[in-house]
Amino acid sequence: MKKKVLCVFLVALMLLTVWSMTGCAPKAEPTKEAPTKEAPTQVFSGDPIVIAVPTALGSIEGRDGLRAIELAVEEINKAGGVSLGGGKSPFKVVSIDTREHEAGIPVHDALAALERIILTEKPHAILFGAFRSEVLLASMDIIAEHKIPYIGTTAMTPEMEKKIAENYDEYKYMFRMCLNAPYLVRYLSQLMGYIGEKFGFDKAYIVTQDVLWAKGTGGGVEKWFKENGWEVVGFDTYPTGAGDFSSSLTKAKRGGAQVIVPIFDMPQSGILVKQARDMEVPALLAGFISPAAPENAWDVFEGELDGLINFVFEIGPLPADAVPKSVEFNKKFGEKFGESARTSLAGHAPGPSYDAVYVLKEAIERAGSLDGDAIVKELEKTDYQGVIGRVKFSENHQVIYGLDPAEAALGGAFQWRAPGVRVPVFPELIAEDEIQLPPYMKN
Amino acid sequence: MIESMLVFGLVNSAVLMLISLGFSLTFGLSGVANFSHGGIYLLAGYLAFFLFRTLGLPYFIAVIITVIVTALLGATIYKLVVIRVRGIALNEVIATFAIGISILELFRWLGFITYEFSLPYMLRGRLTLIETTLDYQRLLIILVAFLLAVFLWVFTHRTRIGLALLGMAQDEYTALSVGIDSDWAATYSFALGGAFAAIAAVMILPLGIININIGYEVLLIALAVTVLGGLESTKGLILGCIILGYAQIFTSTFFAPHWKEAVYLAAILIVLAVKPSGLLGKFKELEERV
Repeated sequence: MKKKVLCVFLVALMLLTVWSMTGCAPKAEPTKEAPTKEAPTQVFSGDPIVIAVPTALGSIEGRDGLRAIELAVEEINKAGGVSLGGGKSPFKVVSIDTREHEAGIPVHDALAALERIILTEKPHAILFGAFRSEVLLASMDIIAEHKIPYIGTTAMTPEMEKKIAENYDEYKYMFRMCLNAPYLVRYLSQLMGYIGEKFGFDKAYIVTQDVLWAKGTGGGVEKWFKENGWEVVGFDTYPTGAGDFSSSLTKAKRGGAQVIVPIFDMPQSGILVKQARDMEVPALLAGFISPAAPENAWDVFEGELDGLINFVFEIGPLPADAVPKSVEFNKKFGEKFGESARTSLAGHAPGPSYDAVYVLKEAIERAGSLDGDAIVKELEKTDYQGVIGRVKFSENHQVIYGLDPAEAALGGAFQWRAPGVRVPVFPELIAEDEIQLPPYMKN
Repeated sequence: MIESMLVFGLVNSAVLMLISLGFSLTFGLSGVANFSHGGIYLLAGYLAFFLFRTLGLPYFIAVIITVIVTALLGATIYKLVVIRVRGIALNEVIATFAIGISILELFRWLGFITYEFSLPYMLRGRLTLIETTLDYQRLLIILVAFLLAVFLWVFTHRTRIGLALLGMAQDEYTALSVGIDSDWAATYSFALGGAFAAIAAVMILPLGIININIGYEVLLIALAVTVLGGLESTKGLILGCIILGYAQIFTSTFFAPHWKEAVYLAAILIVLAVKPSGLLGKFKELEERV
């Protein structure tokens, strides 16, 4: 009997895991019930303007993004708040943990958290938003229902812009401040073009996480490689949580890949860097490995990062002299949350999250109202010089990224160098040195 | 390519074995499935990190303390919680599962979500076999997994304590009649399970960085391997690890790495459907024959 119960439990656990991992869980539908009370479109002077942050707060990006929002809110409130209706109103931040970064958490759980914060807190705007692209896309109907301006700063799928283009009236409340996958592809392609030209490389291996944005980015880079005469030795995707990359590294080594392009935002991707060194794979690693992005990563990896080129999706966590506000942001972040928090800043989300608060403030002040439609109209006119460079939205509500921070928002890449320095190497305007081959490739 | 597959298949099998030995041992000796195994594994990783990086103790000392502390934790879990629900299988599962989740989520709540937690390699250096380069840490993992398996066999077949535990596992009432204390045996097995989880953690976690989700994955791996090999069979466990370890590397090399994780689930479902007792397990064998 005892063991029968155990077996039943095991089978149930396994089925539950398969069910949630394969996305067979029922798709959440936006609520059909009208909210009992919408957020007021006008507030009395002094009453708070509520910003909701529904995201994966247990992720490093979620935690740092929320902190960046709190930092901006604190600054704005200290300066008097938001000018509205002849008075000043402070911002108030409320948050909820959607846990969507955890393997096995279904999309509808994250959506339930989003609905809960909308119905209970009646926010006037949502910042940061979905962590996973799958959740972002599913959130769009809920946001359309409640007509709340939403500025996402993490999920990267370009499907959001496509949906806005197809049905503007429904989805016009959605905006994105962070880099999206096509911009990342563009950055990576430009970087690969530069590397190919400088070192004469033309063989690459792509390794990505098995999630929408990473696979999409990998596919885009693969297309670029093929169109530009590179040989793609292999393209593998690994499930979130994978802890062994030997098969890809063996193929990369045997196939003579000169560049390995990793695209991961999972903690276990750190194993890939160490294993590549352990297996003595003579290739330059250039891409995005989230654990290798923070300033303190050198010590964590005990120097194994030497030569790795890693992207910081948006300038901010990587202070660049060409973007003075990014230097200032780092200083303020360190002062408020401590030096340890600053050196562990995620390479994705903090910069745009901080800027999103200021962009929202300006839009509300220009609109003179908290009406969602009025704020959306003003958000579309945004032209703001922030921590990530110049913030302007495209017609499909994606911030435009480029190579010059005076003209557009900016992402960048740095190279790890001994004794643990992140040297900005891309794009040219922020580069402090040229890309060098890692020590293990020089012989 | 083949020699690389053989080498990394062996490494993978050794990793699986290290992860699941503690879980299998506790179940084999006490009949209680300790679902807090993943939590203890992760706790061991963070504790070793704290002792080594924060307190600055020599790594070897940090490892010894970690193993002792987690062994005590295992025994405490039995003495404080499991003993009260002993014999009611579902309650045992729920209680240990709750403890495991509590440990994991406590770390999340405490903010252990950054990428700054890592343990050092115990041995630095690399070895090249034909065309495959293997680092000493992974070699050490193979060695330790082998030694632990041997220790387990010798302990349960050649020592008085081990024989007593084995007797308890084989027939609790008969063991009781010859004076073996059931609770003592179970406490001992929980302590050993905790120690094994810690050894696995300090051997495997240096390969990457410590992250909370690893605790959940460890539990899934331990379950898969134990079910595959047989719930109370050490030989079955070793066989299960080798089959799963090589199946994963084979799948990853010849199909695609993203199918790798599905191998666990497929293995459990197939074994439960075809031979519920596991490859070398005895449980339910009679019913299967009937």
